[in-house]
Amino acid sequence: MPDWAQYVRQNLALSRLTVQREAEVIEDLAQQLDDAYAEALHRGLTPSQAEAAAKKHIADWPALAKQVERSRLGRESAISTLQNRTEDRDIARHGEFSLFVGFMQDIRIGLRMLRKNPGFTAVVVLTLALGIAANTTVLSWISATLLNPIPGVAHTSDLVAITRGDRSDHPTPPFSYLDLRDLSERTQSFSGLLGYHDDYMSLTGVAKPERIYGALTTANYFDVLGVHPILGRAFLPEEGTPPAGAAVIVIGYAVWQNHFAGDPQIVGKTIQINRHPYTVVGVAPRDFTGCKTGLRTDLWIPLSMDRDVWGADRPARRGTFWLNVLGQLRPGVTKSQAQAELNLLMQGIAERFPEDHRDSPNEISLDPLWRSPFGINGYLHKIFPMLLGLAAVLLLLACANVASLLLVRSVGRRREIAIRLGMGASRQQIIRQFLIESLLLGLLGGTAAIVITKWTSHSLIAFFPPSTLPLTNDAHVDQRVLFVTIAVSILAAILFGILPALRSSNLPVQSVLKEEATSVSLTLHKSRLLSGLVVAQISLSLVLLVCAGLFTRSLQKAQQSDPGFEASHLLLASYELSPAGYTRATGVAFNRQVLDKLSALPGVESVTVADFSPLSFSIHSDYLQLEGYVPQPHESMEISRAIVGPNYFRTLRTSVISGREFTAADTRDSQLVAVVNQAFVGRYWPGESAIGKQVTDWGDRFTVVGVARNAKYRLLTYPAEPVIYFPIYQESSPTQDNTIHLRTTGDPRAMASSVEQAIHQLNPELPLFNVNPLSVTMQLGTLFGRIAATFAGSFGLLAMLLAAVGIYGVVAYSTRQRTRELGIRVALGAERRGIYRLVLGQGLRLAVAGLVVGTALAVAFTRLLKTQLFGVSQTDAITFASVGVLLAIVALLACHIPARRATRVDPMVALRHE
Amino acid sequence: MFNRELKKGSAEFLILCLIEGRPRHGYEIGKLIEARSKGLIQFRIGSFYPILCRLEARDLITGRWVEKAGERRRRFYRLTPNGRKYLAAQRGIWNEFVSTVNHVVRPDLA
Repeated sequence: MPDWAQYVRQNLALSRLTVQREAEVIEDLAQQLDDAYAEALHRGLTPSQAEAAAKKHIADWPALAKQVERSRLGRESAISTLQNRTEDRDIARHGEFSLFVGFMQDIRIGLRMLRKNPGFTAVVVLTLALGIAANTTVLSWISATLLNPIPGVAHTSDLVAITRGDRSDHPTPPFSYLDLRDLSERTQSFSGLLGYHDDYMSLTGVAKPERIYGALTTANYFDVLGVHPILGRAFLPEEGTPPAGAAVIVIGYAVWQNHFAGDPQIVGKTIQINRHPYTVVGVAPRDFTGCKTGLRTDLWIPLSMDRDVWGADRPARRGTFWLNVLGQLRPGVTKSQAQAELNLLMQGIAERFPEDHRDSPNEISLDPLWRSPFGINGYLHKIFPMLLGLAAVLLLLACANVASLLLVRSVGRRREIAIRLGMGASRQQIIRQFLIESLLLGLLGGTAAIVITKWTSHSLIAFFPPSTLPLTNDAHVDQRVLFVTIAVSILAAILFGILPALRSSNLPVQSVLKEEATSVSLTLHKSRLLSGLVVAQISLSLVLLVCAGLFTRSLQKAQQSDPGFEASHLLLASYELSPAGYTRATGVAFNRQVLDKLSALPGVESVTVADFSPLSFSIHSDYLQLEGYVPQPHESMEISRAIVGPNYFRTLRTSVISGREFTAADTRDSQLVAVVNQAFVGRYWPGESAIGKQVTDWGDRFTVVGVARNAKYRLLTYPAEPVIYFPIYQESSPTQDNTIHLRTTGDPRAMASSVEQAIHQLNPELPLFNVNPLSVTMQLGTLFGRIAATFAGSFGLLAMLLAAVGIYGVVAYSTRQRTRELGIRVALGAERRGIYRLVLGQGLRLAVAGLVVGTALAVAFTRLLKTQLFGVSQTDAITFASVGVLLAIVALLACHIPARRATRVDPMVALRHE
Repeated sequence: MFNRELKKGSAEFLILCLIEGRPRHGYEIGKLIEARSKGLIQFRIGSFYPILCRLEARDLITGRWVEKAGERRRRFYRLTPNGRKYLAAQRGIWNEFVSTVNHVVRPDLA
């Protein structure tokens, strides 16, 4: 019997295996040859025939050795230069049970592909980053305002803002304390109703008195919100239930840090507010800055201290509506149930106290805090969703752009894909590989977007002009933003990755492998898809540009519109009198002195004082009774009212159409007088003469002595509303806010220091604030228009850029693909002009299709903007036409470059190129 | 009978199927394929053995020396847990392939 082990050892040249493994292989093979030999003998062959038959089993010894060694060393084929083949086979061989292994390998391959094409990767990541960042920026604002209406209070979904009457963009506090108390006692729907009144107060008794925004609150304020002071405690019921009250205060974290250096012993100490002492009982948590979104409150005092703080006695007056109210719904109670119950209770109260509720609407409405009419959300909830819509369109456009880039690139990868399909990779594996590459691109884009958003989320605050309002903006990249960014990145990756993946994985392997690399070109399917993507990009960018155009024109119209006063050359300066210890009489005297002194300054044309300034959300309103006007049932007689000094209309250049304006002689000792505007007359006394009519305010009867032109004091985009003016020297109490309006002959800024000096000569300790030209502060009146126009504008420009790159890329690419064809045409005598037109025509056809589709989309989309536009229709022909022309020019330029290049094709070079 | 490509493509599958029920040694597997295919599929040791090595390297099968009384020891191969899963997956693919091919060549069968 042959020694098979010896035979194998002699023939099989193994060099790269361990000794033990080599022995095993030899023994195993020898055993098998032995089996073959034994079987041959069994079949009846002679020993030598059997030996020969067995030996025939292994003919190619070197090949066997190589194969054994290779599988032993765990190394598979190295025949292909294609790096990815190994992974394909690993994935194929491990099957579905090791999806994870395949997934990790796909990621590795994906990262390698991205590294291999740094230019491509950079363009795609940048495009995606801008598209995603547009969304996350808007989202970071939404997250900080609409979704987090009370910073420091995590769960606000069961809190509602309670208002009376129709929804208004500028509501005044709707409830009196006594009404709120009665509602709280009787309601079954709410576990708590809190009331507060916020306004500036002065921190006195310190070296330099400071204005601080504070709130008078019901005793349960912190309990209903679920806010626990970090030091001390909140208010006790007996401290804040009128008529009882205690001079206690909860201070905000910032006040504690900035004014009391974070004194850990602050609780129990006494501080002064508006010159009255209060004992600190608690310090609010750091995040908590009150419950009016966008406005920062820094101290809280029980509302029973109204007399001390404001010298008023509002808690005792049922007809004085001064409290904003938030309610916490009991679990299981719906808003409509709660609303129905409050309505019933409110009707009962109104019936029992008809005198106090005659002039005000008594239906209750409830709003979730994201659209609470109090605070900044009342405005933002209309703008932000719209901006988010525009940002989503931009992202869609970015996705179309990236999809077309991927599709073009996939043409260059046809051979690679065909080889992998040929080596046994399944179509799913190829699709998965493509999608994972897209996912990596998407996540890289998302990461870059987070970095951008970290910066842009703060940009909202840049739109706020200097203002007397304690505006805050806390937008930043929070967890919610982070989470959504990741989700959006993945979604975008699927969106832009799926079409190229499906198209690219569907290849006729054999024919692709036979193709010469240079003759690879787009299939009809792919070029149709690519054209579709270009059309999508142009149409989406048209939508964005139209929106941007409409917002910009709307803002322009607003800024150019006549506000009813002349803002240039006007300097403002504000101070408060009652916190500084002035009484009515001394306050009037002080204002007279100030006006006299300022009007004597060189460079001053005229000067006046008012309790507000235009377009800065500072005008107040009162409930009025008007002679000869019977309000509709539930009609609100709450009307904007301005308290102004002598020469107000002359200084603001708002003309008085009939009658007269106020003079220094209109005092408490003379007849009480008022001026109304045209809108007032039109609304309440149409067709009548207003002069001589009587108006009742807070029980005082005023006689109308003049009618002024309409002027806009809230937002430029609002229609003119009725306004009544009262003379400042006839006020029954010292006015809270006093804003000097100074008309200068030169630059108003240059007067700022001399105005400050003049006032401080009269009272060196009086804090002056908001010393700014009116033209600056009134920017607040176009705040929302500017936000919309700026963002829609930048989205539009970005969109145009992306679309231009998109159309250029596709035309340039397909022109390069056609180099040979163009060469032949030239060789056959085609004119250069014809070639130029051929290439240009191809791009322009796509552009025209995009413009047509985009116009249709834009008409549908801009309908949603209707309420946000001012002085321009949502189908404004000028905007549509100029955007169309602009995009057409951009498309023309984008096609011009490749078309020019095509005319320079040298037929010899083009043909040799093959 | 069948060309090399066809044999090579199906060898792994056949091996895995044959050792699914019980462990078998190398020569036995080859002979079993030959017998069950009525001699239409034959493998030489030289081409068969590398496939075993490869399957083992990929952790789909594992070999173990077994000694029986009066015989020299033989290396028996059986499925690993991975091999079992892989075989199940391959069987599904194979059945689908066969029915697809049948469907194409003989629509009356499908």
